Amino acid sequence: MEPSTFRWSCAVYRRLLAVLPADFRGRFGDDMTEDFREMLAPRAAGRPVRGRLACWRRALADLLATRRDQRLARRSPRVIVPERRWPVPALLMDLRYAARALARTPGYVAVTVVILALGIGANTAIFSLVDAALFRPLPVADPDRLVAIYEGIPQVGLPKIGASAPDVLDFEAMQRSFDGLAAFRNREVELSGRGESERVMSARISASLLPLLGVGPAVGRNFTPAEDQPGAAVAIISYGLWQRRFGGAADVLGRKIIVDREPLEIVGVMPAFFRFPLRGPLENNEPADLFVPMAFTPFERQARGMMFNLSLLGRLKPGVTLAAARTEFGLIAPRVEANYPPEIRATGFHLAFTLSPFRDDLTGDARRPLLVLLGAVGLVLLVACANVANLVLSRAAGRAREMGLRVALGASRRRLLQVLVAESAILAGLGGGLGLLLARWSLGAARSFLPANLPGAGDVGLDARVLAFTVGLSLATALVFGFAPLVTTRATQISETLREGGGRTTAGRRRQRVQAGLVVSTVALAVVLLVGAGLLMRSFARLTATDAGFDPNGVLTMSLVLPPQAYDKADRVRAFVAEVHDAMAALPGVATASLSTALPLAGNEHRAFTAEGSDTAPTSTAATWVDGDYFTTFGIHVVRGRPLGAGDSQDAQRVAVVNEALARRYWRGQDPIGKRIKWGIPASQMPWMTVVGVVADVHDASLAAEPAMHVYVPYDQAADAAIEDRVTNFYRTLSVAFRTVSDPAALAPAALGAIRRLDPSLPVTDVRTMRERVSASVAAQRLMASLLAGFAIVALLLAAVGLYGVLALAVAQRRAEIGVRMALGAPRGQVVGLIVKRGMRLTAAGLALGLVAAVGAARLLSSLLYRTTPGDLPTFLAVPLVLALVALAATALPALRASRIDPIQALRSE
Amino acid sequence: MTEDTGALTPAVFHILLALVDGPLHGYAIMQAVERSAGSSLSVGPGTIYGCLQRMEESGFVRAVETADARRRRAYALLPRGRKALETEAGRVARLARIVRAKKLVTGEA
Repeated sequence: MEPSTFRWSCAVYRRLLAVLPADFRGRFGDDMTEDFREMLAPRAAGRPVRGRLACWRRALADLLATRRDQRLARRSPRVIVPERRWPVPALLMDLRYAARALARTPGYVAVTVVILALGIGANTAIFSLVDAALFRPLPVADPDRLVAIYEGIPQVGLPKIGASAPDVLDFEAMQRSFDGLAAFRNREVELSGRGESERVMSARISASLLPLLGVGPAVGRNFTPAEDQPGAAVAIISYGLWQRRFGGAADVLGRKIIVDREPLEIVGVMPAFFRFPLRGPLENNEPADLFVPMAFTPFERQARGMMFNLSLLGRLKPGVTLAAARTEFGLIAPRVEANYPPEIRATGFHLAFTLSPFRDDLTGDARRPLLVLLGAVGLVLLVACANVANLVLSRAAGRAREMGLRVALGASRRRLLQVLVAESAILAGLGGGLGLLLARWSLGAARSFLPANLPGAGDVGLDARVLAFTVGLSLATALVFGFAPLVTTRATQISETLREGGGRTTAGRRRQRVQAGLVVSTVALAVVLLVGAGLLMRSFARLTATDAGFDPNGVLTMSLVLPPQAYDKADRVRAFVAEVHDAMAALPGVATASLSTALPLAGNEHRAFTAEGSDTAPTSTAATWVDGDYFTTFGIHVVRGRPLGAGDSQDAQRVAVVNEALARRYWRGQDPIGKRIKWGIPASQMPWMTVVGVVADVHDASLAAEPAMHVYVPYDQAADAAIEDRVTNFYRTLSVAFRTVSDPAALAPAALGAIRRLDPSLPVTDVRTMRERVSASVAAQRLMASLLAGFAIVALLLAAVGLYGVLALAVAQRRAEIGVRMALGAPRGQVVGLIVKRGMRLTAAGLALGLVAAVGAARLLSSLLYRTTPGDLPTFLAVPLVLALVALAATALPALRASRIDPIQALRSE
Repeated sequence: MTEDTGALTPAVFHILLALVDGPLHGYAIMQAVERSAGSSLSVGPGTIYGCLQRMEESGFVRAVETADARRRRAYALLPRGRKALETEAGRVARLARIVRAKKLVTGEA
């Protein structure tokens, strides 16, 4: 044994270990060298050279094998014994395979996913709107038994108005259909004390309201019946106000909150989900942050025939139907009328009632446009599906050989289809995910465009319901377009495909027919959407072009409410109104200013009135009390006589200005100037007002509504008692407006500063130009028209893409044929014509189908159209023209490509 | 998919077999494998340690310090390794029975 030789051998072996990965060498190198030494020793002892050589040969082979194994192991970790695992589900394997197949065609994936995302995203966004407005359960217990009750005085043109306090008290005493009745009324109040004073929406509510809704305060208690009387200084606040104003303090109960400069004790906090009143098309529809007891005043209790401004809810007793309740209210009506003063009854006064499910009352007119939108966006998804199905088919055509090969190698048809469906599922999943992001983003952007009175407008968002909808939609989408290839493949045809390839087989022709059908239906759907969008846009254009009767340009408006506590006497109110007017008029750049109880398009007080000497029954009219140069400020044309002015003071002769509609109705062919009118019935004690002027009709309620009768009265001549009324605070709720010679919005800070100097704690809200108000008043129509226009454009583009895709594929597959044609002398123009003709034939078929469907669809829109008939000729002429032009553009590219085919190459490649 | 059959590689099988009687270090394992596998399997240090590494990762064996003068590590069989060996031995026995039943081999193996 010669240790030195061993040492030398071991040193060489150690050097050779360098071929192994470093970490392996580091861990086992020493041990390996030791083992090598031991290997060497016995062999070397016997036959020194031979033994050593054999040992070296074996060690070298082992090193190389180890090196290979270690490298392999590094690339894919080898398992010496597999873990006991469940077999990979076939579906997962299909998905994996499909994902790999898709990854090879990123362009196809991108186009498909974008198309699907557009379709699914638009649907998700619209669904979340519609769901919030129509479908989502109301935040109250058992909402289906809640009934909204309205009164009506049909003979004065008020078929559906709120309830008045004495009538509500009568109903409570007389009715047997409901477990209880509860009234509520919105009122804006000033919140002061800690921090900035602000205006918040409040609601007066009956003590019975919360029990009726089945929702109690999260903290604290409801009002007691004893507190539902004048004088109780208590309030319940919303969760939001609790967080915002009190930082969610635990000891909020018993604390004071300064409302309209009166301290109220907080007795309860509502839960976070509670929103009430709920948004809707009718009055008292603004969610309140503050609830105070209804506490009818003695004046309200005896105000028969006045102040029909309460919203009234009832909860049907178990077993009582709505129809039965309606019948009962019909029977109650004469008994309630009997409690009215004889002079009112002498005018032939009759009460009518409208009882409707609370839910319907909230959705109102919004139901139809929302469902139309949902339908339209559904069509967009159909277009997207048809388009993607087309892409899938085109791809299938390109893969015919691959599929055929797989069948030939023993893949079952079922398995192939599973993989195809898995591909669809992946695409739909990606499309759905991206669509969800699109919806989220577009809802965020759209929130400010939503009409304020859209039911549920404040709660639109992507919640679990919407998410479930999107997932369901994506799955359904995957099924629809995923099965497209099934329609066109048959096992026997696949082998045929393998033999012949390309598009000339039976399967190929079948596929082409299906693709043509898809293109035709895409075009047809696009036509329907285009017609719908066209009609709505025409209607919207007419609506905004309507002469509203006033000039909204250059006018800034804002709103303020004087707290009754600080402005208790009528003289104090009148003085402040005059101060504000003068301060506004004195602002540099202001031409004229006015204060009034309402603005055009902002809803008006309606009052019953009597015209002197008229034998017609009393009717109601819009009424506005104005101070300053109201008509000049709003650019309302004075047709006859004079406008109201500074001379029409408190002690002067009682005067009024009427609009043309009123003059026409009462004094047709006579001079209205000098005629007299008064509020109320002929027997009323109200003073006569002399008509001193006639102004042009103004679209008061909305641009779409025809102007109604309107009376304008000097603010100063309102009765002291009326101004001092604390219940409705009607005369202290004022709109300030001024006309400027420059940009009105730029004057807002100066105007706010001037008012703050007059009353530092008075919040001024709703500072907007009149143009903004006009624009907001048509927000619903604009949203509808622009959404439908967007949908139509998407559908049009998709139709064009579909047409292009089918034609491009046809050109590619008919290369040889076209080559032959050209080789035989067909001019390029003829080849172009060939393709264009095919494209136009498809377009024409889609157009014809689409126009027929559009005629039907347009009828659904008719109630949403303003001065536009569903058969609007320009729309029905423009749509085919636009579509034909777009289709022509879509065919141009494939046609040109066909004409550039080199016959020699085309034939050679066969 | 040879893994699906549950078969151990021959080297792993023989290493497990060698460790049944107690912990051994590398060269001792090599010798034991040589004895049990005969000429059918030629193993060197690299193969042995490569296997041991994977077996350690799979929880079949673990390295133990020994009182050996050269401070070499020895490897001890773990329950999981014994289980795998038993399964494999059963499989081999089954195969042997089949082979014998088909009269491919005469006499006792």
